[in-house]
Amino acid sequence: MQTDPIELELFRNALFSIADEMALTVHRTTYSAVLKDNMDYSTAFCDAEGRLVAQGLTLPSHLGSIPEALGAVMRRYGTTMAEGDIFVLNDPFEGGMHLPDIFLFQPIFVDGERVAIAATICHHTDVGGRVPGSNASDSTEIYQEGLRIPPLRLYTRGEPNETLHALIEKNVRVPVKVFGDLRAQLAACTIAERQFKALVARTGVEKTRFYMNELLDYAERLARAALRDLPDGEWSFEDHIDDDGVEVGKPIPLRVRVEKRGDRMLVDWTGTSPQVKGAINNTLSFTRSASYCGVKSILPANIPNNEGYFRVIEVVAPPGTVAHGVLPAACAARGLTGFRMVDCLFGALAQMLPDRVGAAGDGGNIGVSIGGYTPDRQPFIYVDFTCCAWGGRPFADGCDGNSHMFANMASPSIEVTETEQPIQITRYEFLPDTMGPGQYRGGAPFCREYRFLEQEGVLQVRADRRAFLPFGLQGGGAGAPSMNWLERDGKTEKLPSKFCITLKYGDVFRLDVPGGGGWGDPLAREPASVLRDARNGLVSVEAARRDYGVVIAPGWQVDVAATEALRAERRAGRGPLPAVTRERAA
Amino acid sequence: MTWRVSADIGGTFTDLVAIGPGGALRTKKVSSSVGDYGRAIVEGLGELFAECGIAPDQVEEVLHATTVASNAILEHKGARTGLITTQGFRDVLEIRTLRMPRLYDLRWEKPAPLVPRHLRLGVTERVNHRGEVETPLDEAEAVTAVEALLAEGVAAIAVCLLHSYANPAHERRLGEIIAARAPGLPVSLSVDVLPEMKEYERTSTTVINAYLGPILGRYLTALSGDLREAGLAAPLLLMQSSGGLMPAAEAARLPVHVVESGPAAGVIGVQMLARRIGLPNAISFDMGGTTAKAGVIENGEVTRAGEYSVGGGIMVGSRLLSGAGYQLKVPAIDLAEVGAGGGSVIWLDAAGAPQVGPESAGAHPGPVCYGKGNMQPTVTDANVALGYLNPVALVGGALPIDAAASRAAIADRIAAPLGLSVEEAAHGAHLIAASNMIRAIKAVTSERGRDPRAFALVAFGGNGPLFAAGMARALGMTRVVVPPSAGVFSAVGLLASDVEVHLSRSWRRFAQGLDPAALETAASALAEEARARLATQGFPPARIQVRRASTLRYQGQSFELAVPMEAGDTPDAVAERYGAEHERTYGHRAGAGEPVEFVTLQAVGTGLPERDRMPDRLSPHAVTPAVPARAAYFGRALGWLETRVLSRDALAAPAPGPAIIEEYDCTCLVPPGATAALDHFNNIVIDLQGDS
Repeated sequence: MQTDPIELELFRNALFSIADEMALTVHRTTYSAVLKDNMDYSTAFCDAEGRLVAQGLTLPSHLGSIPEALGAVMRRYGTTMAEGDIFVLNDPFEGGMHLPDIFLFQPIFVDGERVAIAATICHHTDVGGRVPGSNASDSTEIYQEGLRIPPLRLYTRGEPNETLHALIEKNVRVPVKVFGDLRAQLAACTIAERQFKALVARTGVEKTRFYMNELLDYAERLARAALRDLPDGEWSFEDHIDDDGVEVGKPIPLRVRVEKRGDRMLVDWTGTSPQVKGAINNTLSFTRSASYCGVKSILPANIPNNEGYFRVIEVVAPPGTVAHGVLPAACAARGLTGFRMVDCLFGALAQMLPDRVGAAGDGGNIGVSIGGYTPDRQPFIYVDFTCCAWGGRPFADGCDGNSHMFANMASPSIEVTETEQPIQITRYEFLPDTMGPGQYRGGAPFCREYRFLEQEGVLQVRADRRAFLPFGLQGGGAGAPSMNWLERDGKTEKLPSKFCITLKYGDVFRLDVPGGGGWGDPLAREPASVLRDARNGLVSVEAARRDYGVVIAPGWQVDVAATEALRAERRAGRGPLPAVTRERAA
Repeated sequence: MTWRVSADIGGTFTDLVAIGPGGALRTKKVSSSVGDYGRAIVEGLGELFAECGIAPDQVEEVLHATTVASNAILEHKGARTGLITTQGFRDVLEIRTLRMPRLYDLRWEKPAPLVPRHLRLGVTERVNHRGEVETPLDEAEAVTAVEALLAEGVAAIAVCLLHSYANPAHERRLGEIIAARAPGLPVSLSVDVLPEMKEYERTSTTVINAYLGPILGRYLTALSGDLREAGLAAPLLLMQSSGGLMPAAEAARLPVHVVESGPAAGVIGVQMLARRIGLPNAISFDMGGTTAKAGVIENGEVTRAGEYSVGGGIMVGSRLLSGAGYQLKVPAIDLAEVGAGGGSVIWLDAAGAPQVGPESAGAHPGPVCYGKGNMQPTVTDANVALGYLNPVALVGGALPIDAAASRAAIADRIAAPLGLSVEEAAHGAHLIAASNMIRAIKAVTSERGRDPRAFALVAFGGNGPLFAAGMARALGMTRVVVPPSAGVFSAVGLLASDVEVHLSRSWRRFAQGLDPAALETAASALAEEARARLATQGFPPARIQVRRASTLRYQGQSFELAVPMEAGDTPDAVAERYGAEHERTYGHRAGAGEPVEFVTLQAVGTGLPERDRMPDRLSPHAVTPAVPARAAYFGRALGWLETRVLSRDALAAPAPGPAIIEEYDCTCLVPPGATAALDHFNNIVIDLQGDS
């Protein structure tokens, strides 16, 4: 068969609209906020052999996960799959990523022949284990983290697997939500099947197979063409996670080497820390996702989301490292590591493309979960993943109050939270003087205060960037560290970056998100921009003078003469600017 | 002898329509007068009246859709606005939801807040979600904040405090404090604009209302004055994004309702049409130069979204990727939009695959065939090369066309690299543009659990009727309707609209065990408020109709579905209706025991006209095509076919495809295998039944 370029484009449009429609179906039918507001889910469409042909509107951190997961299903059931079967898994050591992410696969048959497989991944509110939300960062083995599901049939030829359903129901804290969300995943697969069969009816089975394969080659061609336009070379970067929350104070190095030759790219994580006790170990698939996300950000936007472009990016991560955990590694909170690997990779890519890639942001999601039981033993779980500050960029300030590239999360409504949870939010605003200074400053972080209104509960926090601050580039300064505070009985104490404590009625927990790192010489920042930040209360008048050499006179005026004099004096008294500003807090 | 007139201002053109005795329809397209939009209306109406012999005092109503409000937002030219919030929450407006509309985009910039941080001030106060005052309003601090904003020279103030929908006392008190210090300064309290839960959406909506108030007030005052000066004393009504009309004075007070007025008018026109010709289900498809929009009429009713954003740009498949533009939580006709229009550029990507849009050559320089300097072929060039569009001139001869230039551009840039003939490449581009637009139609049908085959496709806008039959066929639909004056049909739709008031309130209660009287009391109070609003606008009780609705969800869900309610409905009946709607939309419903929660109550009041707004038949000016036939290309299988070129009137006798119907403002394509005929309303109806 020969490719007709018009037919291919029409086919692509049709197939990707099915994958997107699956995503919309999950979004509309889900129960939980983590799926609805945070969109912590993905949908995809694979060919009969399990190759990822079309990923729907998706969470970047799921980019590399489908091939691995479906591979695990194919190994067990590749020859016995039947129409009406639906497969489920969440085991990180057999296709999964971490236990809350439950994968569902539905093979699609046309005239008795398997032609495609529909896939969905959803982050579920709870899958059992030690703590509500199944997200503990201080678990030390997978067995503490919840229910582990290897690739199994959830439905066999259309009939539910009662054993498995019952087992899941008894092992999760909020079965209504979990089964509501599983129904959303099933609904998406049903939509996919219906739409795909209509497409096959129009196109024919043989042509459908042909163009699914063509779509993979097409993405590969686009990716290769894009890579050829980028400079060849080798670039390395190193960053550290403060610690794993178990061995407190023991830094965890992340090392990446990027090698780009012609139309291929290697992302090598060799040298990264051995796997750790705390629950921040990645699966290889998650490390792949982080690598693809970083690389995709420097490629053109029109490359279709499928396995075709993965072919040109080789990802290496030795087993037994935090980039590739092996049994019995705990991994529930591995989101932290994924975010930081993206940032670390950006550190290398910024050397490759200094005019496009910026400094470190806040390091990605900070997890806050508050859970427990009411006096009449009703469970409550509040889970919030938040981040907000981008690093300064070679052409603009970092975004203020904007999600990290790796996970486009939303913040829950304060009023809704207060209505549904025993929590009151008492403050939610930007923190002044926390952004890394630079010609383009880092993004502004916020603080959020939670007042607890139940008799007793468990507060668990996973933050980082307390010791190793968000780095600046090209002379830009580091961002401010993250902070956790507890106000109890009128006294305020500082808490570590990762912890799990018991809350009492009236306790106020305050989270300070880290500030973004700055890009470029702060003395080169437009005085008008410094003035605007000062006027807006984001940079104090003192910090304007101290960090930027800008003198602000009463009446919100820049004192031009004083500013020029001060800046000249500063420039004279300093050495060359560092390419990377790393700061380690005491 | 009375006439009703409408004016629909778009970015490039202002469309004017007058409808008179016996359904006489007179239209005029004039260039929009940017900066002083009212001038084009007054001058254009003057010309239209002179051409058609209409005296200004014969006009009984002037209906208006305008981009003035949306432009003020897009261009950041609203009033200098201050915002007062609960202490500690002044950044809610700027932090937004944290989400961004684009992934993997290192150049992403958030839209700048409409109120900069130094004009956003917090005051100490706190009301909880039950409406109980936990911390009283600090009056001294409130006075200081108000005075600080006034010293900054703000022209409007927005106030949005946490949980004010549950207890507005502190917001009201702030309103008094402001009024005492700055009498006459426009103030928008969130409880007046949007008394609903969710602080970001409420703050954003309230701020936009304040930001637009002075601008829209000035514009409407000037326009009314100019119209009066021109002898038009008739009342001026504005189209709301919900599809209902609103008196000018009301629009100046609540401008947040008239931000997206033009696109809504087209859908209301389709609704009117669908009722006239007995179509319960119709998809409105409006394709212009830059974008295509799809909306749905189901069982005779338009579907509305509860919120939308302005200025987000257009992206295929972007309905999940929120965070662009400025959020307004007001009812709006639900439209899916894609960046595909006559000006959309045809190009090859790095892997050599043909693409159409979303970039557009717009009206300036426009397609290659306009001869204004653009060299990159567009959708219109493809349609010219295929023989679908008149190869000599468009818009009744006013716009000369260089067909050779269209063909040359497609040959050089598309056909040669792909190894295709010009017509094959042009036909491919036509199909790809159609497949992009099909995604908009799927967004409002199959993505909502609706089967498009149960709908007729009503196509309008300058380019809609060229694509409609082909798209309908691809979706398995069997009927396409092209209304009279399709090229200015949004302005026609304005003439079909009624005055409406949309009200909603947060009302969170579990349906199970709820006292039916409590529901009835709350719902009827809201309905009464809608009645009262319409009464003050001059409607007698007999001409006021109020429909009730509520939004509900299963406990734990973070989103709602709306269902209609009747007076006297029990909570259980409404919950059951919700379950059925959930199943219809999503394909499943929860078990019987699962708690269902009311989230908001809504009331829509309609002020009915004294007599029917629309005649039984619309009769636009007839135009006779210059040539009886030309060759048009219909793909490899059929090739070039001699195709008749007809006027609308000629379809009094049904015509088999291929045929082209040429009119002043639009061209309609009837493909081979289809049949076109006129119905009693003067619509072109294309029947695709029984074709391949």
